[in-house]
Amino acid sequence: MPSTDTPSKVGPDTRAPRIQPFSRGAVAALPLCVAVVPWGLLTGSLAIESGLSPVQGQAMSLLVFAGAAQLVGMGLIKAGAGLGSILLTTFFISSRHLLYSMIYRQHLARQPKRWRLALGFLLTDELFALTSQPAPGAGGFNRWYAFGVGFTFYLVWNITTFFGLIAGRMIPDLNTLGLDFAIAATFIAIVVPMVKNLAVLATVATAAVLAVLCEVQQIEGGIIIAALGAMTVGFLTTGKTS
Amino acid sequence: MTIWLTLLLMAAVTFATRYAFLEPRVPIRLNNAAQRFLGYSAPAVLTAITAPIVFARGQQLDLRVDNIYLWAALTAVTVAYFSRNTLLTVAVSMPVFFGLKHYLQ
Repeated sequence: MPSTDTPSKVGPDTRAPRIQPFSRGAVAALPLCVAVVPWGLLTGSLAIESGLSPVQGQAMSLLVFAGAAQLVGMGLIKAGAGLGSILLTTFFISSRHLLYSMIYRQHLARQPKRWRLALGFLLTDELFALTSQPAPGAGGFNRWYAFGVGFTFYLVWNITTFFGLIAGRMIPDLNTLGLDFAIAATFIAIVVPMVKNLAVLATVATAAVLAVLCEVQQIEGGIIIAALGAMTVGFLTTGKTS
Repeated sequence: MTIWLTLLLMAAVTFATRYAFLEPRVPIRLNNAAQRFLGYSAPAVLTAITAPIVFARGQQLDLRVDNIYLWAALTAVTVAYFSRNTLLTVAVSMPVFFGLKHYLQ
């Protein structure tokens, strides 16, 4: 379907240059790759440890492309959890993307289908964090800029997964190096600016306490319990304060 | 075989949550309460994943002074709070973490 993307009435940026916003997006993504690199390495090495073949480990990063879901999913695979609980957990971990896609809808609903599919596939926490506010000096949403950001993360994610797979076979205790702090750092960096009122603060505190409690008590589905509990507390707190 | 099936279905689930509202035929009309509830999903999920990394080691609560995850996370929270800058937060707290790890362990 070569003609769906020829310049037409799809949006203000259709005739805009492509290479320039794409490379600006790629450059904007690079700094956050500081966190993506160790996380990707960890994912690759954990794939080996969870009993996935290298091809399966790479395929997971190529197809799923979701750091948190992959990490938790591999933990569940390793623990021998059933398909149902793996998919349910994946859904809950990914449920925040429903919100991202709802906000992205205003930018993308009128774009050609292949742009919606491509940017939808690339819609991660990091892409959302970098593009939900307009790019500096760009005046509004630019799909090539967003694609530059998203594709850079995708590339770096898969390259580092690849090296993690290799390292996982050579260095058995790669997961004791503390690469998991990269995940904590990224998510703290994304969450703290979200805490703008009491309700979000209550959400975060509840999620932290419940998640740690479930982890320590080895309760299955801890993330679902913690997330749902925290969302409920946040929801009820707003009701009371506003 | 089961693993391949798991991977493909996981890919389908993550893609579905990302693409759902980008599809023009999906009506956006979630009611107010549902939207508000969903609004808390990002901080809730991200914190639920982060907290055990910081506060627990090997399924044990670890609040000891030599838990370097605590100090590095505290650094990250402080930088994030004052700078509101994702990059700066990561760029400062990661070296702090690996520095502490290198010198203390």
